[in-house]
Amino acid sequence: MPNHSSTYPPEQGQSVRPATEEPAVPAQDNNSAGGWLGSDRRRLMVQEYGIFLAFLLLVVILSFSNEFFLTAGNISNVLLQTSINGVLAIGMTFVILTRGIDLSVGSVVALAGIVSASVSTTSATAGVIGSPYPVAVGLSVGLLVGMACGSISGVIVSRFSVPAFVATLGMLSAARGLTLIYGGGRPVPALTPAFRWIGTGDVVGVPAPVILLAAVFALSWWILNRTRFGRYIYAVGGNPHAAKTSGINTIRIRFLVYVISGGLAGLAGMLLSARTGSGLPQAGVAYELDAIAAVVIGGTSLSGGVGRVTGTLIGALIIGVMNNGLDLMGIQSYYQQVLKGALIVGAVMLDQKRNFGA
Amino acid sequence: MKKLLIALASATALLASSAVAQEKIKIGAAPYGLNAEFMQIWAAALQEHPAVKSGEVELTVFDGRYDALVQQDQFKTMITQKYNAIIFAPIDVDAGAAAVQSAVDAGIPVIGSNTRVNSDQLTSYVGSDDTISGYMEAKAVLDKIGCKGNVVILEGPVGQSAQISRLEGNKKALAECPDVKVLEDQTANWSRAEAQTLMENWLTSHPKQINGIIGQNDEMALGAIEAIKAAGLDEKSFAIAGIDGITDALRAVKAGEMTSILQDARAQAQGALDLAIFQAKKGEYKPQSDIWTTYKDMPWNDGKDKNYNVPWTPVTAENVDKLLATRK
Repeated sequence: MPNHSSTYPPEQGQSVRPATEEPAVPAQDNNSAGGWLGSDRRRLMVQEYGIFLAFLLLVVILSFSNEFFLTAGNISNVLLQTSINGVLAIGMTFVILTRGIDLSVGSVVALAGIVSASVSTTSATAGVIGSPYPVAVGLSVGLLVGMACGSISGVIVSRFSVPAFVATLGMLSAARGLTLIYGGGRPVPALTPAFRWIGTGDVVGVPAPVILLAAVFALSWWILNRTRFGRYIYAVGGNPHAAKTSGINTIRIRFLVYVISGGLAGLAGMLLSARTGSGLPQAGVAYELDAIAAVVIGGTSLSGGVGRVTGTLIGALIIGVMNNGLDLMGIQSYYQQVLKGALIVGAVMLDQKRNFGA
Repeated sequence: MKKLLIALASATALLASSAVAQEKIKIGAAPYGLNAEFMQIWAAALQEHPAVKSGEVELTVFDGRYDALVQQDQFKTMITQKYNAIIFAPIDVDAGAAAVQSAVDAGIPVIGSNTRVNSDQLTSYVGSDDTISGYMEAKAVLDKIGCKGNVVILEGPVGQSAQISRLEGNKKALAECPDVKVLEDQTANWSRAEAQTLMENWLTSHPKQINGIIGQNDEMALGAIEAIKAAGLDEKSFAIAGIDGITDALRAVKAGEMTSILQDARAQAQGALDLAIFQAKKGEYKPQSDIWTTYKDMPWNDGKDKNYNVPWTPVTAENVDKLLATRK
């Protein structure tokens, strides 16, 4: 089966895709890394490096096109500008791996951003009573708001079998409305320096949001590649029926991926508030599209079970680098949108060719 | 039926002023959308109008939800419910014209406010000329940098009437300073976050070259300030200006970080409401809002003018505290 190569662990998830009608053997506990066949491994590397090479090519082109692109300051900027979309896209990867989609992340960004801002503001009129609270409170509140939104979507998708597209479309609208109700449609200004640190601070020159992105990536990589839960996610996405019959609690898995996506959207919302210095009710509009784009460019299949979080990170970096490079060259943002569109479709076309054409 | 109508009409005429004073006037306000701070101040100002507070006028505000079609349907509602006058801030210059026409056909006067509509059927329009604010903010930036150096422009969504007019004003001011170079000129869609990213990248590609930042609204100017701070530069060494006078911008003006040109939502709203009541009462009305005494440059003129231009107010260190006090 051709798409072995794009998934990990290779002997599960993808091998039970319905198109193949193969008997389902999902979720074994053995260490899958040892089971790699030589040819599979080669294929995996080619594909992994394919997206990585595309990224490097972009970097090389931009380095030659603009003298400032490869400066330390700009590299830091690109990573900073990628951090929010990167965090969202990693959460989106979990959901898409189970054949789901989370359209609500942009609205959840705004809701978590403004609620966490309201407990972290020194403004007497914009905050809740007692604000500002210690930064830990602000961060917990933001995460909880995100996870609460994710839980609602998760329950609706997993328990009530509502299509993810519909459930999260509802959450997209509801969370935006709640944002406007909560903040009265006004921004929440004057956040405490401690809260703003997560968006503007740095550790030995590395911006705090970049460190957070790295931590989220590392944790997600570990979950998806090294834990039973991660393998179950691939199994549920690869063939939900087979996963269920083999004893996986698919409802629980599908619920949890939305909680993860919501929680990460909450984190992204706090990063955005901390970065801009205020909770903005109009924040995050259409962010879900960039997150989905990063996942798709990174090679994760929208039909579930196939994909890697490393690809998602590179996908997010490609989008970030492209926007940054075109800004540096003074090219109108309209061209950026056209290029991004071409990139998304191109990436999926390549993926299709690889999976079914070759 | 006809006889009955005549009888009713004459009865009304007989009772004249006393009866009219008793009867509540129904006025509908149709703003394009209530998600942003400006329109919220606008809508709140309507509710605070003396005629609404005294109960003389029954006011309903319809949220247009940034959709021309939604606004059109709201007009239908107001026509069926026989509103006496409508205050209209359309989302779209052209799409709003049909809605105005339908109301006028039903005999309901429509007063424009804040945003323009391509229709000669508006009884009056109360708004502020965006070319003037565009000129004023660019002038403020250029004056501060001494009419030489480099500037960047953060534009609104290209094609929106405010973006077109403000850019026209920006360019008029820039033409007076031929030595000033526009290094970059891009849209950040009125968004603080987008402007911040754009500015970060511009600070990289034009190191130590940018002297002035013309933000076509306050949100984008504030985003630029954050980018400058994040880059470890001193925002006070830049000349930065925005438009609208939103609360965050007032605070930034107070901190000496930027200049803002206040668009008076309250005057636009209350002025339009006075004109709407004036029309609903067929001229038997004296304006009640204090804005007519505040703005000497905008006389009431017996409610007869087609256009009422609410002046722009530059926010300065002197008036910023007073303005901040009006924001709760």
